[in-house]
Formats: sequence, C-alpha cells, structure tokens
Amino acid sequence: MLPVKESVGGNLSTDAPTLDLHEIQATVLRQRPAPYFGTHVLLRLDDARAGRELLRRLTPHIDSATSWWSAANPWLFVGISYAGLEALGVPRDSLQSFPEAFRVGMAARARQLGDEGANDPKTWDPGFGTGEIHVGVSAFADSEEQRRRVLAIAREQYESLSGVSVLRSQDFGAQPGDLNPLGYRDGIDQPAVEGSGVEPLPGQGRPIKAGEFILGYPGESGVPLPMPQPDILGRNGTYVGFRKYQSRVGAFNRFLRANGSTEEERELLAAKLVGRWRSGAPLTLAPDVDNPALGADPQRNNDFNYTNDARGRQVPFGSHIRRMNPRDTELARLTDVNLHRLIRRGTTYGVPYDPNALSEEADEIPRGAYFLFISAKAMATIEFLQQEWINDGNFIGAGNERDPIIGLQNDGATFTIPKEPVRRRVHGIETFNVLRGGEYLFMPSLSALRWLSELG
Amino acid sequence: MATTTTQTKMQKGSTQPADAQQKIEAFRALFADAPELGKKALENVIAELKSQVSEPRAKVESAGRVGARLGQRSELTMIVPLAPGGAKRLRAFLKMLDGNLSGGADKVGTLHDMRFVFIDNDTRMLFATSFDGDWDVYIDDFVTKIPDFLDVIDSAWEGWPGIRSPQAKDYLVKHQITAEGWYVANPDLTVAEITRLKRIGKAVDEFLDKVGD
Repeated sequence: MLPVKESVGGNLSTDAPTLDLHEIQATVLRQRPAPYFGTHVLLRLDDARAGRELLRRLTPHIDSATSWWSAANPWLFVGISYAGLEALGVPRDSLQSFPEAFRVGMAARARQLGDEGANDPKTWDPGFGTGEIHVGVSAFADSEEQRRRVLAIAREQYESLSGVSVLRSQDFGAQPGDLNPLGYRDGIDQPAVEGSGVEPLPGQGRPIKAGEFILGYPGESGVPLPMPQPDILGRNGTYVGFRKYQSRVGAFNRFLRANGSTEEERELLAAKLVGRWRSGAPLTLAPDVDNPALGADPQRNNDFNYTNDARGRQVPFGSHIRRMNPRDTELARLTDVNLHRLIRRGTTYGVPYDPNALSEEADEIPRGAYFLFISAKAMATIEFLQQEWINDGNFIGAGNERDPIIGLQNDGATFTIPKEPVRRRVHGIETFNVLRGGEYLFMPSLSALRWLSELG
Repeated sequence: MATTTTQTKMQKGSTQPADAQQKIEAFRALFADAPELGKKALENVIAELKSQVSEPRAKVESAGRVGARLGQRSELTMIVPLAPGGAKRLRAFLKMLDGNLSGGADKVGTLHDMRFVFIDNDTRMLFATSFDGDWDVYIDDFVTKIPDFLDVIDSAWEGWPGIRSPQAKDYLVKHQITAEGWYVANPDLTVAEITRLKRIGKAVDEFLDKVGD
C-alpha cells in the first residue's frame, strides 16, 4: 500500500486498476477537495453545430480519472441531458437506446420520485424540468483562485459561441469547515468501486462491482447493465442525478429548540437525526459526546457497522446515514444493500449555516446544496431510494416515518429515537431540505464526447 | 397481452349525491335483462348501495406498471402458460413443502399471501399474491439474493426468460392482469408493521399482566 499525499479516496492499491481510467471522467471517482470551491454552469444549445463545437472545444479540458485519487489540481466535467443529446443531433435509434426515465427526464418522473407538494416540479426554479437545460459544466477546485482559473477555461469555450446560452451559473463551496447547509460535515461515506486502483477506507465495505457505477463493466449481478448505443457512446459513461435543494435552516433550528432545552440536548438530537455529530463523528463510535478528532479522521470516521447497535440505541433506524447505507442492519424487506448505492458529490451553496437563524425568512435565504448522484443506473436507484429508503420507513422498521434530513414530511410527522427504557418519539419534524430543481444528465466518456462533437 | 389498464382508479374520494344517483341509475339499467332474482336482489339493496357509492373511500392506484395498489398494499394476479412438464415439477415442489411456502417466503418480508392454482388441465397457472409497495423496485434484489429459488418455481412457466434476464420484468407484466375490484381490511399495515404491532401487543399484555396482579 502506498500512502498518497493529499489523497481524497484512500491509499493506492497494490493491484493495478482494471478500469479504463483514461476514458472515464474524473468526477465519477474523484471526491471533492478539502476545502472545496466550484461552479455549476447550465447551458442551452440553440443550434446543433454550436453544441458540437462546444464539446469539441471543451473535451481537451475535461479531466479523465487517471490519477483520480489526487485532487490537487482543479478540474472540469460535463454532463448532457436527454434534451441536450437531441439538440446535438444524436441519431434517433441511439436516443431510443437510453433508459426511459432518462429520456422523459426527472420532472416527468415526479410520481416515481415522490416529488410532490413542496417538492413538486411546478415549484422548481426557472429552467429546471423544462427541457431547456442541455449541458451542465462544473468546475471543482481547492481554492478560490484555482476555481476562477479553471472556470475561465470553461468560459472561453462557450462564451464566444453563438447558439450556446448560459441559463444558470451557481458558485458553490467556500464553506467554513466545509460544512453542509445544516452545519454538518458531509460526504464521508462513499461506496468503494472495484478495479479503481485504491484500497477502500476502513468501514467502506467491500468494493462494489464497477458496472454499478460505470457503463460497460459487470455489475453486482455479474453482467453489465444495458448501455446506450453505439458502444462508443455508452461505454465508460454514467448517469448523474442532479438535484438542487434549498435548506430551511430556520425550520431546522426551530425544531431543535422545540425539542431540546439545552445546547447539549439539541446537539444530541441533531446527531440522532443524521447518525453523526456535526463533526462527522459517527454515533456508533461516539455515542454520548462529540469527538471532533474522530470526525475529521478518514481512517476512523467511517469504520463501523451496526453489529452492536441492532436495536438502534446509538444510531436510530430512521436516521439519515442508517437509511442511506444500512450496512449490516437486519432489514424488514429482502434487500441487497450493495445494489442501491450512489456516488455522491454534495456541493453546498449560499450563506453558511447559522445556528441562531430561527425566522421563517431564514428558511428562504438562498443556501442549500446541489447534489450529484452518480451511478450507471442513477435513475432507477434514485427512484428506489426516494420511494423506499427516504420517503418511507417500512424497510428498516420505522413505520411510515421518513428521512429526517432529505425526506418530504407530511403534517404530524415524527422521528423515533430508540432508547432505554422506552423510545422517544419527537414530533413536529418538517421538510428541512426542499427540492428546487433537478435534471438527469449523462456523463459520457472522453471518447464519447469526441464522438458527439463529430456528429453530423 | 392480458391487459392495458395500468391506471386503475376505481373511486376518487367521495361522489356527489346527484352523481351517485346517476351511477345507480346507469347500473340499474344494466339489470334490465338480468335474471329475475338478480333484479329483485338489486331492488332490496339499492338504498344501501347508494349510500356506499356516496361514501368517501381510499383510492385504488396503480402499483407501478401493472396491478392495483391500495395504501401500502399491492396485488399481482397472473395467468401464465405452463411449460411441458412444468405442472408436474411445480406441483411436486409445492407438495414437498406441504403446500406452504412460509420458510422461504418469510425472507422476502413483504409478502402477505401467495396462491398457486393449476387450471385448464395443468396447461396454465393462476398465480395471485399481495404484498407491500411496488414489486418492480426490488426485482434487482431478487436477482442477487434469491435468483435460484425463483427460477426453480418460474421455470415451470412457458417462455420464462430467467430472473437474471433483463426481459424478466416484461414477462411478468405481459401475463399480469390488473384486478378490477379489490378489498383490503388494513391497507396501511405492512408485513413489517404487523410484526411490530404484534410485538407491542405482546409487551403490553405482559405489562398489564404484571400491573393487574
């Protein structure tokens, strides 16, 4: 094992990578740097030729996953929606080879995603769900200066092109302590990908078959997932579920105050909702008080399972991390927990978390997160998670309770904290993160980007 | 193709009185050429039927691609052709387990019931089940967790592509018939919830036994 300086994924494996890393976009495997700075730019293509020209110019600046474990230099990645593939003039039979949920788009799948009420696509920010968003370009960097530098490279490629319009540009990151909009360290638990060339971090679990995350490789069932055609377009590509959340920080703080009379009680409740203290320290390893040193240590902060917490006394069954990765929890439904994992890239935007914000106005101050959920079957997995693990509790014995952090709550919603001698049921939980937009993007390989740029 | 009704919505909330009257009249008209005993029976219950039609009730929705769903519960009814020798093998399998699949089916955690009925001289099978949630979201889990048990049973079916095949879902959908009417006493209770409530009931009884001494 070779320790990698400034590694973001773990230590280099003694086994050589078996994936075509030079073809796969870096973001699939490369995590956020710490600290992180970046920008999401959403573009509309008004003309197929301009769109192809954009990809032709942009592709040389898109990082491949070769040495993905180092995030020392800033990088760009690009994703294309179904409407974008149409706008580029991708042939009809090729378009038809994409999965249906991708073709109709995230807004049209609102029923399957449970995106209703406050999360209904009708309430989304302008542009989202309208078919206007064609291309997403994102920049990641470890400093503000580097962010500007790499974003300027991206801009040079599209700003001079007539027929390409910027719909939305959103800076993210630059958060004190890299905390998320509700004040937690996030992004800790990521699935390990087999053949990617890095040893899993302690507690990461066995590496998951690459085909679950990248098209063209065998998945957990032993065979590759269906791939868009022709092969050069599909292979080494993947899908991204892009979801914008507004964090209702006032509602979150009001909930903590209403249910905790001291700072200690409130912080314990905040930790129970997530399963980790704000520092990232998991309740399994730090059940009673926070341990910031543990939270900050990637070798230790994910190194646990639920063998000694079978009744949820430390990490409640309904908490965010136990839902999103139940590990060895005995589930009520026959489930293969390795089939429903996503690579997550959370990108926090807006004003940092303020523990004293209590007003309803504070709920609407622009701050939240753009999430990138990456998987070779992202559409199916996000729908599964939304239906089963986020907006339901049956699978883990939590009745009809929902994920306290990203669930869409009904009036009278509760959160149950298993405890001796009797459980505590907390009332008045609200929707703390409201969906304000979303799109499915295809993240092509570098060869596929060149193929797309040469169409027509 | 057995059916095309993917959006079964028997009732949407309550029906206005005038609307109910209209429905009753339309229904009554269908009885013009019914046998006398049917006509008579209808007249005897018409008042009660009218109040039932007017009552608000839970909506029957679609369970994913095919099938009906009421609250947490979905139904799946299929009529499938049997492969040569399929009836013999499947009947032997069911008999070996005394016609009761509790051991394996319990593991799925969402199945309320299953019925295997051989019809048409063992050339076809009626399969009916009800379960929690939508079935198709978990099909990938069946593929990695219990593929061989499913294929032992389903290989009795003519043309079954195997649970690992991407065509497995389409096969099931093709032979599925959505129930037109369906009753569930407790549509909000999942198998997991029932287990939990049984556990709580037992604990409460133990507590009351102690207090009551």
